[in-house]
Amino acid sequence: MKPVLEIKNYTKIYGEAKKAADNVCLTVEAGDIYGFIGHNGAGKSTTIRAVVGVLDFTEGEILIDGHSVKSESVECKKITSYIPDNPDLYENLSGIQYLDFIADVFRIDGKKREEVIKKYADAFEITDSLGDLISSYSHGMKQKLAIISALIHEPKLIVMDEPFVGLDPKAAFTLKQIMHELCEKGTAIFFSTHVLDVAEKLCNKVAIIKGGKIIDSGTMEELVGKKSLEEVFLEVQDEK
Amino acid sequence: MKSSMVLIKNLLLSTSQWNIYRLCRDKKKKGRIIGNFIGYAFLYLMLMAYGVFSCIGYGKMGLAEVIPMLCALTISLMAFFLTLFKTNGYLFNFKEYDMLMSLPFEAKTVAGCKFLYMYIKSLPWNLSISLAMLIGYAVYAKPGLSAMCLWLLLSFFLPVIPMLAAAFIGYIIARISAGFKKNNLIQTLLTFVIVIACFCLRFVIESLAKNGRIEETLTDISVYLSKAGKIYPPAGWFVNAVMHLKPGDILLMTGVTLLLFELVFIPVGKAYRSINSKLKSHAAAGKFSMKEQKSRSIYNAIAFKEFRRMLGSTIYMTNAAIGELMALLLGVVILFVDVDKAVSTLTRGAPVTKEMLYPAIPLIVYFCIGMVATTAITPSLEGKNYWIVQSLPISKKTLYQGKMLFNMYLTVPFALFATICMCIAAHTPLLTSLLSVILSFCLCAFSTVWGCVCGVKHMRLDWENEIEVVKQGAAVSIYILPNMFVTTGLIVLTVFLGTKINRDIILGILILAVTFLAALSYKKLSSLAA
Repeated sequence: MKPVLEIKNYTKIYGEAKKAADNVCLTVEAGDIYGFIGHNGAGKSTTIRAVVGVLDFTEGEILIDGHSVKSESVECKKITSYIPDNPDLYENLSGIQYLDFIADVFRIDGKKREEVIKKYADAFEITDSLGDLISSYSHGMKQKLAIISALIHEPKLIVMDEPFVGLDPKAAFTLKQIMHELCEKGTAIFFSTHVLDVAEKLCNKVAIIKGGKIIDSGTMEELVGKKSLEEVFLEVQDEK
Repeated sequence: MKSSMVLIKNLLLSTSQWNIYRLCRDKKKKGRIIGNFIGYAFLYLMLMAYGVFSCIGYGKMGLAEVIPMLCALTISLMAFFLTLFKTNGYLFNFKEYDMLMSLPFEAKTVAGCKFLYMYIKSLPWNLSISLAMLIGYAVYAKPGLSAMCLWLLLSFFLPVIPMLAAAFIGYIIARISAGFKKNNLIQTLLTFVIVIACFCLRFVIESLAKNGRIEETLTDISVYLSKAGKIYPPAGWFVNAVMHLKPGDILLMTGVTLLLFELVFIPVGKAYRSINSKLKSHAAAGKFSMKEQKSRSIYNAIAFKEFRRMLGSTIYMTNAAIGELMALLLGVVILFVDVDKAVSTLTRGAPVTKEMLYPAIPLIVYFCIGMVATTAITPSLEGKNYWIVQSLPISKKTLYQGKMLFNMYLTVPFALFATICMCIAAHTPLLTSLLSVILSFCLCAFSTVWGCVCGVKHMRLDWENEIEVVKQGAAVSIYILPNMFVTTGLIVLTVFLGTKINRDIILGILILAVTFLAALSYKKLSSLAA
């Protein structure tokens, strides 16, 4: 079975010599919940932005369901969803107008979109606020809206940058449940996080990035063994 | 095609004041939207009145046949320059780039839709000029119904070619500057170079059209305008289409516009992601070492923050500093030209001497300097970061004073430089020079405070794109348009009065009047800050 996401020798160089990502290789398969961890400025967001086709990159190849992000970006985006760490949504639209826009882009019919929006808006308890302007939303509400918009077209791959930041404990729990649900259906999830406890409990695979290089990766069992992810993370950060 | 429509519809909806009005529950905000709407309607009418009156002028001089060309050139020039200043920010380096580019749109579609959005937003202004000039033309030239319908139809096409040209130049600028670490600064400098080159080109074209002769004014305008159609063919196509109903020119106008639209976005689309990636990436050097830190007064700290804010945004800087740049150029150039000849050329041979222009010198400088006041922009430009200054232990008045101090730092040196240079070049008497310098300073102060009143009164923090504040904001429009019209009127009035009464007295009266207006504006600002 071909992987949903395949990053091969991905390198991003800023300016003259600053390598934000250096020869990154990883594979995410259907049903994986893949955690991407590293300290601030390690290269997580740079990698994620390249995966979703927002950022151009210097070397390597990124394939989504066999399609190249570079040469078939629209095909890739049709089956991908992206939730940025700080979603820049259209502040002067209402929540429902924004969701309608995303549903229109993905050509989701009226009945289907109504069903999905209702399901997730109820789960995140923001149904009552969908008629309000996004500018009146709190950070957490915007994050919830961005999550709903990412789920609207049932993507094969969901890419999230720090998805738990700003979410209240209940919403974080709901998101984790949704992630499990989706992964059981075969959706692949690739997300960055600083919350190692969450990563340990949620992910079946994990990669640790430092200075733009993947310093360790594999299944959670392989990587952690009898230790905690936090211990492993701190050890490899100090060693390499 | 369908995805383009979805995107354009969404871009328009997301910046629609009507949508905010409909959905907003804050009554104050609703009131502000209505106020802005009335302000815009007033400005719209002013622009139309200007168009109608200038056509009446041409009509009464028996030059009704030049109105179509004048309309084509006015709209084309306006569309070109306004787009040039907006390209970075609308086409490139915009806030929601990540969100849009992660959706299944071709890069070419995003760029094309952003352009069309820019076009649709500027359409009411372009059509107001076109409609006003059509009214003037209809009164004096009495064209047929088909010509009037064609005029209206082709008015939709008129701004597209210059806008495409400006967008393409903007693309080249973005592409070049993307290769530099300080891409903002490079973009600003290149934009300024293009603007200056365009102004120089205008004089070259004008002199070519005149073939070195300074003819009698009326003939001169007629000859110049008729030659402009050869230099800029789309204007000629428009004129031939509406005056002679030539089908070939109608086809050329529409066909070339559509073809260019397709062509321009091929290279733009190809390089779109690469350019935006570079423009939006801020690589960290990670080599900072702590040096001795300087402390500043609160006012200077705010002014310095404003300075850094300006340097960080190409859109803001190109719009805010263009007046200062023009004043600088004016000051330098005037020292090297024959003032008598320049006056004669600029007034197209009208009986105006340099002595008659003495009291107008500070106003001419102010025409450049007062074009934009940063104080009209910066209150809104705080946007989502407004909480930072709000949470500081300073009053609103202190904040505004800091913002005003920055505008004074920015404008006064350039205004004084240009005024002194003009006084030297025109050999003005010492007292007149002194009064001119004082008036220049007073005008800077007035512009600063009046700009701040407009900026605070029409503060809008919920913008999506800096352009909504810098170019399209109600504060800027309400500051700039009356300011420019009144300054133009004052220049004419002072020149006229200068022939009747002592020029130093005129300057003295102007100093008192401007100081009074500045004080009045400051009082208003104090009440707004309370």
